[in-house]
Amino acid sequence: MLAVSVKNLSWKYEHATEFALKGANLDIEEGSFVAIVGPNEAGKTTLVSAIQGLIPHSFNGVIRGYVEVFGEKVAEKSSLELAQEVGLVFSDPEAQFTAMTVQEELVFGMENIGLTVEEIDERLHWAVEMADIADLLDKSPFDISGGQKQRVNIAAILAMRPPILILDEPTSMLDPLGKDFIFDVLTTLREQVAMTLIVVEHNIEQIAPLADQIALVYDGQVVKVAEPREFFADSGFLSERHVEPPEVTALAHWLREQRYYNGPLPLKMDEALSISRDLLKREVK
Amino acid sequence: MSGEEVLIQVSKLNYVYPDGTVALRDIDMEIGTREFIAFIGQNGSGKTTLSKCLNGLFAPTSGSVIVEGLDTRSKGIIKKIVTKVGYVFQNPDHQLFNSSVWDEIAYGPRNIGVPENEVEERVREAATVAGIHEEIFQEHPFFLNKGLRQRVAIASILALRPRTIIVDEPTTGQDRKQSVEIMNFLKKLRDEEDHTIIIITHEMPIVVAYAERTVALCEGKILLDGPTREVFSQPNVLAKTFVQPRQITRLGQQLGDLDLPPDVLTVPEMCEIFGETLSR
Repeated sequence: MLAVSVKNLSWKYEHATEFALKGANLDIEEGSFVAIVGPNEAGKTTLVSAIQGLIPHSFNGVIRGYVEVFGEKVAEKSSLELAQEVGLVFSDPEAQFTAMTVQEELVFGMENIGLTVEEIDERLHWAVEMADIADLLDKSPFDISGGQKQRVNIAAILAMRPPILILDEPTSMLDPLGKDFIFDVLTTLREQVAMTLIVVEHNIEQIAPLADQIALVYDGQVVKVAEPREFFADSGFLSERHVEPPEVTALAHWLREQRYYNGPLPLKMDEALSISRDLLKREVK
Repeated sequence: MSGEEVLIQVSKLNYVYPDGTVALRDIDMEIGTREFIAFIGQNGSGKTTLSKCLNGLFAPTSGSVIVEGLDTRSKGIIKKIVTKVGYVFQNPDHQLFNSSVWDEIAYGPRNIGVPENEVEERVREAATVAGIHEEIFQEHPFFLNKGLRQRVAIASILALRPRTIIVDEPTTGQDRKQSVEIMNFLKKLRDEEDHTIIIITHEMPIVVAYAERTVALCEGKILLDGPTREVFSQPNVLAKTFVQPRQITRLGQQLGDLDLPPDVLTVPEMCEIFGETLSR
């Protein structure tokens, strides 16, 4: 079943002179992990805002085409319904806090939707484990590092158990250690949770190995959607649009062009190591 | 240090924040003319504190920072130091507060008492170097795109004519194309205008592509300071800073048993090594 279907979607923000989206199309299978990449101002945030329903519910503008979530048009759903179906984590980790402690922050949203104490407890425990923040529960959300804040944000949204979770550049404002922690959380979610995950991300090297599909947004359109190895196969198309494959993928690409190698493109280090070892050992003998 | 002449001499620099946090411990370094240096390390490692000591915003708790002969501990020295070392904030919005691009760039020179006719000359010169066109001189910086706001922030520093320019996270939040533009601009300032450029960054591809010298900081100390290639060829030391070399460098380092070198910095270099080995 499709979790999300974006059909010929165009959107112009009120007062803008140009359309931010110009006939974008994207289908996302339920339970899949989709990475959205592309330059700044290409329309990535606008696209995920339209999937979450912020567009058109909270922004004014001109819309053509439509978005469906689980087969129903977003424009016809209520904001409450959408909030329960689609969770959204922003890049600025400060943006979402209101409570005095991390635990209160996490409980707040659940109380708001009228869950029982038992249900809140169970979800809290689960979300804390997924985001790896057990040691932060008693702290103030304002006294923890940016990377920790972002994990709290993710836990708060997870606790609402939306079947679709969108993260819009969750690592762009974090230092390398903070980024690595977020990618660890994404890896856990991918392996252990049946959610549909949509992640807008510039760090292709870390996101590509996690993704079932990569979608490239460029100039208001989704210009390419493919499984990662296929996505990186046409390196000319990508580099014209300022997208670089992971470095080990680029190396293997060159090895294929030179006919030293004809297997599948590697996406991560361990795959590249085994390909390199095979090639180099054969030569060393 | 690779420059011909010492611009900044740092000796036994310690810096302790008023709350008692020790931010820098026994830093010794020299910064020369026409250098392109990257400061790397985790948040809290001391990169930004060190930079603020270099341009006199912070006076050393002990030890000294001598900038082109001026001791940053001297009273009333800050207006002179800012004409030697410029510091561009990580977020241009923390720096831009005037209501027009022109006033923003003119602010620094006016603040140090440059006469108004020379202010105009400096603004035009800085704007030209930073690629800011006259049409936007009267626009509000807030309404420019981020790349342009950053150029305005840099131009406002250039107008003070410092020889050394420190840029805190020039590419954070920028996409690849914007990053290349801003970095090529900084490189041009070094290559054509003879500035020394220091960048503070978490992005190793940027370090490798632009910085000839890399300083890795950890818990307020300098862990490694040398040519970028040498710094990245020591993954075990670098690991203490939680900074990883680029993926292609790590690939070489993990294939050391097959005679791959530990200091490969780019994909084309690695392709060449594979090509030579495989065509034998």
